[in-house]
Formats: sequence, structure tokens, C-alpha cells
Amino acid sequence: MKNAEPYRRIGSGMRANILKYLAVALLASAPLALHAQSGEETVSKYTRKGADTCLSCHEDAAALAIFATAHAVPLDPRSPFGHGQLQCEACHGPGDTHAGRVRRGAERPPLIYFNERDNTAVEVENSMCMDCHASDVGIGWHAGAHAFDEVSCADCHQSHARVDAVTQTSTQAEVCAACHQLQKNETLKAFAHPLFEEKMSCTACHGMHGDTVAAQLARVTLNDTCYQCHADKRGPYLWEHAPVSEDCGLCHAPHGSNHPGMLTQRAPLLCQGCHSQDGHPSVAYEDDGLASAMPSRYLLAQGCMNCHSQVHGSNHPSGTKLTR
Amino acid sequence: MKLQQPKLARIAAGPGAILVMALAAPGAGAQSVDTSEWICEFCPFQSGYHGDYEVGATNVSEDSAYLGDATGYDEAGVYADLGGDGAYTRDGHSLRWTLEDLGLESRSAAIEGAKSGRFDYRLAYRELPRRQFNTTTTIFDASGGDLSLPASWVSAADTSGFSSLDTTLSSQAIASDRSYYEIGGNYLPGSNWKLSADYRRQQQEGSKIIGGSYYTNAALLPVRIDYATDEVDLGIRYAKDSLTLALGWYLSDFDNGQTGFGWQHPFTTAAGAEFATLAAPPDNRFQQLTLSAAYAFPAYNAHASLSAAFGEIEQTEPFLAYSSNPLLSTAALPRSDLDGGIDTSRLAFAFTASPFTRTKIRLSYRHDERDNKTARDLWNRVIADSFVSGELELNVPYSFTHDTLRASAEYRLFDTLRVSAGYDRIDKDYDFQEVAEHSEDTGWGRIRWRPLQTLELDARGGTSRRDVDRYDEIFAATLGQNPLLRKYNLAYRYREFGEISLSYSPPDLPLSIVFDSLYAEDTYTNSQLGLTGGEQIRFGADANWLVTDRATVYLNIGFDNLSSDQSGSEASGAADWRATGDDDFSTVGAGLTLNSIADKFDLKFDYTRSSGDSRITIDTMNSGGTEFPKLLSDFDQLRATLSYQRSEHLEVNLELRYQSFSTEDWALQGVAPATIPVVLSLGATPYDDDVFIAGISFRYRINN
Repeated sequence: MKNAEPYRRIGSGMRANILKYLAVALLASAPLALHAQSGEETVSKYTRKGADTCLSCHEDAAALAIFATAHAVPLDPRSPFGHGQLQCEACHGPGDTHAGRVRRGAERPPLIYFNERDNTAVEVENSMCMDCHASDVGIGWHAGAHAFDEVSCADCHQSHARVDAVTQTSTQAEVCAACHQLQKNETLKAFAHPLFEEKMSCTACHGMHGDTVAAQLARVTLNDTCYQCHADKRGPYLWEHAPVSEDCGLCHAPHGSNHPGMLTQRAPLLCQGCHSQDGHPSVAYEDDGLASAMPSRYLLAQGCMNCHSQVHGSNHPSGTKLTR
Repeated sequence: MKLQQPKLARIAAGPGAILVMALAAPGAGAQSVDTSEWICEFCPFQSGYHGDYEVGATNVSEDSAYLGDATGYDEAGVYADLGGDGAYTRDGHSLRWTLEDLGLESRSAAIEGAKSGRFDYRLAYRELPRRQFNTTTTIFDASGGDLSLPASWVSAADTSGFSSLDTTLSSQAIASDRSYYEIGGNYLPGSNWKLSADYRRQQQEGSKIIGGSYYTNAALLPVRIDYATDEVDLGIRYAKDSLTLALGWYLSDFDNGQTGFGWQHPFTTAAGAEFATLAAPPDNRFQQLTLSAAYAFPAYNAHASLSAAFGEIEQTEPFLAYSSNPLLSTAALPRSDLDGGIDTSRLAFAFTASPFTRTKIRLSYRHDERDNKTARDLWNRVIADSFVSGELELNVPYSFTHDTLRASAEYRLFDTLRVSAGYDRIDKDYDFQEVAEHSEDTGWGRIRWRPLQTLELDARGGTSRRDVDRYDEIFAATLGQNPLLRKYNLAYRYREFGEISLSYSPPDLPLSIVFDSLYAEDTYTNSQLGLTGGEQIRFGADANWLVTDRATVYLNIGFDNLSSDQSGSEASGAADWRATGDDDFSTVGAGLTLNSIADKFDLKFDYTRSSGDSRITIDTMNSGGTEFPKLLSDFDQLRATLSYQRSEHLEVNLELRYQSFSTEDWALQGVAPATIPVVLSLGATPYDDDVFIAGISFRYRINN
């Protein structure tokens, strides 16, 4: 029987967290093979002694770290190490053949190994996790980009680690950057949310377990997501600014920008993309308005916002021009 | 004897049967397992307490608002380095605590506990400092609530007449601190149910900049802010076999302690207009009820999900008066507060399946609606607290709906090659805008090719076209707009886009190399004025090499360019000026990690550099082309950390960090408070910061 072709992105696990890769390397150094023997079919059974069989070889720190996690709580009947459960083989699959004798020089038959050299279909891997964690995953997981692109749970999560890096604010962004390096680079722009400073996580805005929201946002709409921290912009205002009500992303680049306020462009040009009224909105402001020549209120300091400071909306009865 | 039905057998009997039949462990499904001898005598189950306590000090060489933003290292001096984490486990109960950066204004603390399989809970607290500029000064005094001028202040028509400016300016930090508090947890009353509750509170206190204007004059005001947002998430979820049902309720309540604030104009004003008011962000409340369901069909690996969310935003903040000028008589306000209300709704459906062995399909539909039900009224308008405009104006409560349909299919041509294609359609309807509705159609294709187990190419490309039923130029004219303008979010747009990713990991060598790139070009063919075109190019490359089991090296580089073209008209006719914007950004990072040197030392070096370079040119009929000075930003960070495992319990950590950040920004360069004749600014200058950070800390481990 031929295995379904896995489609985990090459290198994603290693780039996600070098510690994770070290753990993989440690495991690989144990007498356990990661590859299937080509052309041989072997029917595996569960081991006779469960975890004791596995731990007779896999006694390294990376493997044993699982005993400091919720995966190894004997009194929890739902835990893989709960009473009567299948211990290591609950997730890694039947290991009798793997643990048995092999010819000198031959590779051991594989298990479900949850790493990038694993030949198990991602959907099967994920099924092992979902059997217990279905309720932890969004209703729309199946339709999300991660599921459709066959991202494995183990691409992001470290089930053996005492602290899973992707669940921590300080380390999560590095895990996500394994596949989203263009977005990671943006966070290094001069004006960005503090992901590089390890004070904000990607999941503050994105629900990585999928939903039917565009870009897998944490809330139902982009604006609702932004309002989690910027509820002062929600309104409704007496005098609304239409693009603000519709989509914060029309003026802001949330992953980072060269311009203050994470604006997509400098004022006044950003504003002049939509405002062409006679008078100052339609004027081409040139470099003679800089501080060294004839300092212009439209270019310097806050630009248009020197006066139109209520760009997100005004609740002042005289604030129709967003200046009050 | 305990016979355990293996999970693989359960999966094989369920919806994943087709895939599981291809599993690496065929035949497992028929087994029942006798686990009576699985005593787990080698299993080092954790019980008792272990904890790490960290104590140390960090010295920061210079003040830097930018480099201290979010981190808390904004002032020169010595900071206490206090933190740690620990866990207690016994009888299926666990409790974990974490403390980070207690000596900084970016401190955090958390406690998480659980009885595994029954319930869990968490308490969390953290702070996030916001720091801007190093040099801001102001004449205003906010100690009395409103912003008042110094007693010796001499008003003038422009800043050159501010004779007492130099003697009345004082330093003013633009900074705020955001505090987060959270309490929440989950309860599992049975194998199928999960109840969850979470309460979060954010408080933001400090100052921000806002412009206060009088006709064509303005003063930048350092306004105090004191915001609080309370959020509640309640949820109940039921999952059994192939069905999942969820019900959730979300509340977000924003409380701003002030309706507005006043300030005294530093410029000469009309009689009675010396004092003005600005509205503060109004208190508001958002509630949302979400119902969701997902079902996994017994065949074709088919899944469907349905979600409905209904929300309501309320805003009843009392209005300020039309004007604070006691000499003006104005009509009564149409009402004392907005009594604003918005209904939001989202309906979403998604379906995925593998109808044939080699084929996957995905179909989704989403309907989003924002229905602003705020009443419309006619409002007077007082201009610059000086006179009533005489024209009544209607407030405009914007509403819109978005409908999004996406369909895609993937076909596995060979085990090494997958091709997919998709079609997206987005329809948007608007109220009170130049465009009542527009639609965008996108078609794309993708290949994922893995010619070798260690080499993968992923390429995607397509086009999209946004069509507008009618750009209402007559309506635009009522707003004073040039009828040739097309707002970029409402305009006809043709987009071409493509992405390519290449991943390579040499066989038998722990090295990964990844290259990502993205290209998109927008053309606004029908826009004579406004944004007429845009382009973005991005790429990133990343290499990680596990040199030995104790040494790793990484290198990454990135570049992106965003460019735009737009046109304008000073003569209220056809385009007579054109502007281009060109934002370049590049970054490079490199690092080396050496672990277990002499079994006692871990050493790590990281270098990060990023630089931004933005250029703006203006071409006019009168002056020809002029180019603004470049907007530049440069960030460098070199960081070295050394960990010394002094004993089984004691670890000593040393950190040396050099950070540099500088900008060249013509909007701030040479702009002292009085530089702009009609704007009293805060004198913020571009950043030019170099900071050395040196720290030593001791981490002590206790195991019981």
C-alpha cells in the first residue's frame, strides 16, 4: 500500500523553532529511523508494554519533556497517559514493528512522527490531534488556509515541550514566521506593532485555527479585530469618515509601514487620494513647503491632521470637517 | 483486563476512512489492545513543585523613546531584572505561574491552573508602554483638565509673534501605558461539552497628540487620555462524533472618562473664541451573539460549517455644545446625544470535500453587513467658534454590505504535482457614497510541485477586476469633489498578482533554504484623478543550518517595494499634477547559536538590520518635477547572550545589546514649535538614538 503523499512545507519545522529542530535531532540520534523501508510492507501491532517499550530507547530530554505536559497526566482519562490509554502509541501509532528487531544496517519501520521527514499524510497526523482537540479548533478549520494547504498541527505545536512556543507571546511570531516570512519582515519596518519586541503575538489579530473570515482574523471583521485594542475608534460618530467605518486597512498597513501611524502613504497624498475639493485639498504640495523654505501646514508636523485631527470621526456637533 | 479501542481504528471507521486506509500502520484498525501490562514504570510523571527564579540588573545607556517603545527601556539607567516561572503538579491538578520583566513598564504576570480533563483557568496581567519622540515640548498646562496657556502668554496672528514662547515651553512626553488584566477559564462538564468564559480589561493612560485648529491656524495639543475597555467572551460548545455546535457571546465596552476637552487658543482669535473644545472618543458598547455549527460527512472527507453572528453597537455619549463661545447664540441641538446604533451581521458558510481521490474542493460564502441606524438630523455648524455657518448639514450614517463567494479546487496530477484554481467574487453595497455597488471578480491558479522530497515549488498567480456600476459624479459634486476623481476603494481596478515560494532542504544535511516572493500591480484605468496605479514587489530568503547538534546558523534577507501613482487637479478640471510614491524596505538578519560549550555555556549572537527609504516626487505643469528629500529609517541591533550553567540549580545569564535607530523625515526635520507660521507644533524631531544595553541575571531552579 502506498502512503498518501505528505505536503508539509519543506523546512518549516526547522525554521519555526531551532529548539524544536534540536529536539528532532536528538530524537533522530536515538535508535529510531525516520524513513520507511522502501518497498516493504509491514503490519504493525501495538507494543506489549506500551510506553515502557518506547522509553527503553527514547530516554532523551526532548522525549521525556512530555511528562511535564497535559499530555501525560495519569489521572486524566482523556490524556494519552490516562488510565487505559495508549500512551506514546496514542499519537504515534502502533509501535510493535518499529520496536522489534531489524536487520543490521536496516532502517526501522516508521511511526507517525510529526516532523518534516515523516511520510505520514498530514491529514492523518492531524486526525490524531483532533481526536482530542476538536473542540479547541475553530468551527471553520476545515475551510481555512492552514487546513486546505495541509499544514500539520505539529508544524506549529510542540506536543512534547513543557511550554509550547506557539502559545507564548514572546516566541509565537518566530513560529509563524517559518512560513510567513514576508509578514515577519514587515514587522521590522520603522512603524509596526511590537511583534519584533516580543510584546505582541500574531494571534492578537489572527485566529490561526481558521474561520470563514478573510485572513483568518480573530474577530468577525477586520475592524472588529482592530477595535479589540482600539475601541476608541469604533464610534459610531456623529460625523463619520466613510473608509474608517468600512476598513481600517484602507489607510493603515497593520503589519508595518515606513510611515508613522502605520499609514500606507504620507499625508497629504494619502488624503488626496480621495479628496479633490477646490482649495487646499487639490493643491500639489511641493518641496518648497519644507521647513527650510516656506514651511507648510499641509506637509509638516502632522500634515492634514494638524487641523483635521479627528480623522477617525468626530462626535462634536460642529465637527463635520473632522476638526473638532 | 482493559481492552482499549485504538484511536486509529476509530478514525478508520469515521470520515477519515479513505486517508487512514493509506496510513503507515495498516491493519492497526482491527486491533483491540490489552493495556493491562502497560504499567509505565519508566514514565517520569511530574509531581510536586519546580520553579525558576530570576534576579538581575540591566543598564541602559541612553534615553530613547523609540527603542523603549513597548520594551520599557526608554530611559537611561539601571532596571531590575525580575522574573521566573514555576509549576506545581499533583493528583491531576497543575498550577503554573510566569513572571516577566517585573522591573520594566512592560511587565507581565500570569497564573494558569487546571485539573486536566475537567477545567482550567488563567489570571493574567501585563503592561505595554507606548513611547513617541524624545524632544516634544509644549506651552500648555493640562493640570486642570483642560489645556490652558501660561499666564504670561502673548497671543499673535502667527507663530512669529509668540514673544513668550521660549520662556514658556516645557518638556512634554508623549507617552501612554496600557494595562491588560484577564481572568478566564474552561470547564468540561462531560466528554462532549465545553464551557468557556473570559473577561479582559484594558486601561490606557497617558497622553497623545491631537491638533486643535482655529480657521487656518492650529496648535498641536498634548492631550491626556484615560481609556478603559472591558471585554467578555462567553461560549458553550458541544462536539460529538461528526457534529460540533457552538454558541458565543462577546461584549466590548469602551469607557472614556471624558466627553471632550477644551483648550485656549495661542493665536489671536475673535472675541469669545479664545477657548475651544474638541470631542473625545465617545463611550460605546458592542455586543455580538455567534452561532456556529460544523459537520463532518461520512464520505468524501466532506466538511461543512455554518456561522451566524449578530451584533449591535450603541453610542449615547452626551454632545458638547456647538460652540464654547459665550457670545454666540446657536440653535438648540437636535438631540442631546447621538443615540447611535449600528446593527452588524455576518452569515458564513463553508464546504470542503474530496469527491475524488485526487481532488479537493472548497466553497465558501460570507455576508457581512453594517447597518447604521443612527437617525439623521440637520445640524448647525459653528465655524472656528466665531460664527454660525448658516448652512444646515445632515449627518451621514454609513452602511454597507459585503458578499464574498470563493470557490476553488485542487487536483493531484501526480504525487509530486498539484494544481489548483479558484474564483472569488466580492460584491459591495454602500449607502451615501459615490458608488452604490461594485463587484470584484478574481481568478487564480496555483501549482505545488515537489520534484524531489527535498525540493518544493509553490506558485500562485491570477488577476482580478473590480467593476463599478456607476460612479455618481453628480453626488460627488455635491460634496465639492472634482467629478474626475475616483476614490481608490470605490474605483474600477484591474489587478495582476503572483506569488512564488521555493523551499529546499538538501538530503542528509540539516539545512533549509526558503525563498518567498510576491508581486501585485494595480491599474485604475478609469481614474483620471486620485490613485491611478500601484505596485508591490516583495521577496524574502531564509536559510537555517544545524551545523552540529550544538551549533546553528541562520541568515535571512528581505526586500519590498511599494509604489503608487496618483493625479490631482488644482484647476478643478483635468489632471494638472502627478505624484509618485516609492517605498523601499530591506532587512537582513543573521545569527549563530552555540549550545553546551564545555557542557556549561550557551552562546548566541543575533544581528538585525532594517532600513526604509521612501521617495515622493511631484510633477506639476508649472514647476515640472520636484523630488522631496528621502524619508529614511535605519535600525540596527546586535545582541549577544551568554548562559553559564553554574550548577544544576544556578544559571548565570549575560546580555549585551547595541541598538541604533535613526530617521530622516522632512515632516519633522527643522520643525521647531514656531517654524510653521500657522501651526504651533510640539517640536518633535527625527530619531537619532544609539543605546547600549548590558545585563546580568541569575536564574535559580528549585525542584521538589
